[in-house]
Amino acid sequence: MCDGVPDDIVEVRDLVVRFGDFTAVDGISFDVRRGEIFGFLGPNGAGKTTTIRTVTTIQKPTSGSVTIDGHDTEDDYIAARSCIGIAQQHISLDKDLTVRQNLRHHAMLHKIPRSEMTERIESTASILELGDYMDRRIENLSGGWKRKASIICSIIHEPSVLFLDEPTAGLDTRSRHMLWDLVRMLNRRGTTIFLTTHYIEEAESLCDRVAIINRGRLVAMGTVDELRAMVGNVTVDVTDHEGRVTKHHFPDREAARGYTEGLDFFFNVRRTTLEDVFLELTGEGGLA
Amino acid sequence: MTNPLTILDETYRVAWGDLCYLRGNVVEVLLTGLVGPILYLLAFGYGLGGSMEGGSSEYLAFIIPGIISLATLSGTFSTVAMKILVQRLFYMSFDELLLCPVHITSVILGKTLSGVIRAVVCCTVIMGLGCILSPSVEFSLGAMGVVVLASLTFSLFGLLAGMVTNKTQKLSLFTSIVIVPMTFLCGTLFNVSALPAFAAYVVYLLPLTHVSQLVRGFMLDTGIPLDSVAILLAYTALFFGLCYWMIKTHRC
Repeated sequence: MCDGVPDDIVEVRDLVVRFGDFTAVDGISFDVRRGEIFGFLGPNGAGKTTTIRTVTTIQKPTSGSVTIDGHDTEDDYIAARSCIGIAQQHISLDKDLTVRQNLRHHAMLHKIPRSEMTERIESTASILELGDYMDRRIENLSGGWKRKASIICSIIHEPSVLFLDEPTAGLDTRSRHMLWDLVRMLNRRGTTIFLTTHYIEEAESLCDRVAIINRGRLVAMGTVDELRAMVGNVTVDVTDHEGRVTKHHFPDREAARGYTEGLDFFFNVRRTTLEDVFLELTGEGGLA
Repeated sequence: MTNPLTILDETYRVAWGDLCYLRGNVVEVLLTGLVGPILYLLAFGYGLGGSMEGGSSEYLAFIIPGIISLATLSGTFSTVAMKILVQRLFYMSFDELLLCPVHITSVILGKTLSGVIRAVVCCTVIMGLGCILSPSVEFSLGAMGVVVLASLTFSLFGLLAGMVTNKTQKLSLFTSIVIVPMTFLCGTLFNVSALPAFAAYVVYLLPLTHVSQLVRGFMLDTGIPLDSVAILLAYTALFFGLCYWMIKTHRC
């Protein structure tokens, strides 16, 4: 674990990442608080992966700064990296090696003392019951087990903050729920989680706070309740005579009831979901 | 200033994964490294040399150091370049490595180590074989030193190529226009003085020429060209510097 004590474990300031004329990340700033599960939500191509790659030092920013646990990722990259664990969107393990060899290699690269290494490997692997798969080569594992092995490798050095880039993409429902349980368990053990996803229910179910990014810009950040309040806590789905559904958001049920009185269409009044917020903030004509 | 022992320790940690693969596939790795040089030895040493006036023995003594030099290139470049390309583009494990708390120098040396080991083992086998086949050829520690330096140089070159290219086809192109011409023109199979003046000047600028001259100088005891030592060291520094810059500026 790292020694730093700031409340915010990740601080991103005015981050810009350009590839030629294309601006992938356009001046975003945010903090991730120690001990929370922070969701980073956005549609495909919004800049989530570029942001996570820059924050974790893989990608060089065009401008702006990032600090991890008080360490600047440009000037003090070795200290910053020692606080980070990352499971990338694509499985980034050496597929020629077994799960055990990959774990050992990660442990060595993170300078875990030789005397602790075997025990650490076994205890970390047991979290996801990898036992039967430890001596199989990565290329011979199914997608779900590859993903689990990847996450286990990323936590072998007990990082202060774990970055998960779309960890459940392409997984079946059972594996997805198993990974959600793992994320919650790691968080309970004190690991801050930075999670990018485009599954709304994943963010809603797991995250303490959520940031929404669209076209490289941060359009909203807060708890799910705070985000819900931004667009209106109550949503009315109105279905017209041709079957088209439109959503209308209201601050409370009172206001929604006023709207629906005398309405000549089918309608449904319900609590606003994070998906409604997401669509409102990232869709055409939204608050963004 | 970082402690050199820290760099050495980190280099081993970085190389461990590749060394694991090397250990698990030692026969395959050595066979692929030795087949080419042994074919050169048979085809040129005996085939071509045998048809020369006075027999093959003199030519054999000439090309054994050349083939050893060639093995430092063939045993390292393509192995390291392809491994890095695959780890960068297909396995994504190179990104993972760059996220670890190790120095850039350690990453560079670690990723070249398996290439260096493979080339040194292959060259040692060929050198031993050469000493048996030709009485004029001597086993030389100096030549082994050159082999280690040349293997490092060409491994760094492979690392650079693996970081610069984004397609396997581009790497093949790189091999066709840089590596293959060097293989045949750099004094490995014939004396560069036989080339036209302009071609000899161009060939003089290529690193394999100097590896050939140095290995030949040590093994046949024909004198050590110091300019070749300087040029080889300059290439090593250049390739290392370019690799460092590529990683430092996140260009790979």
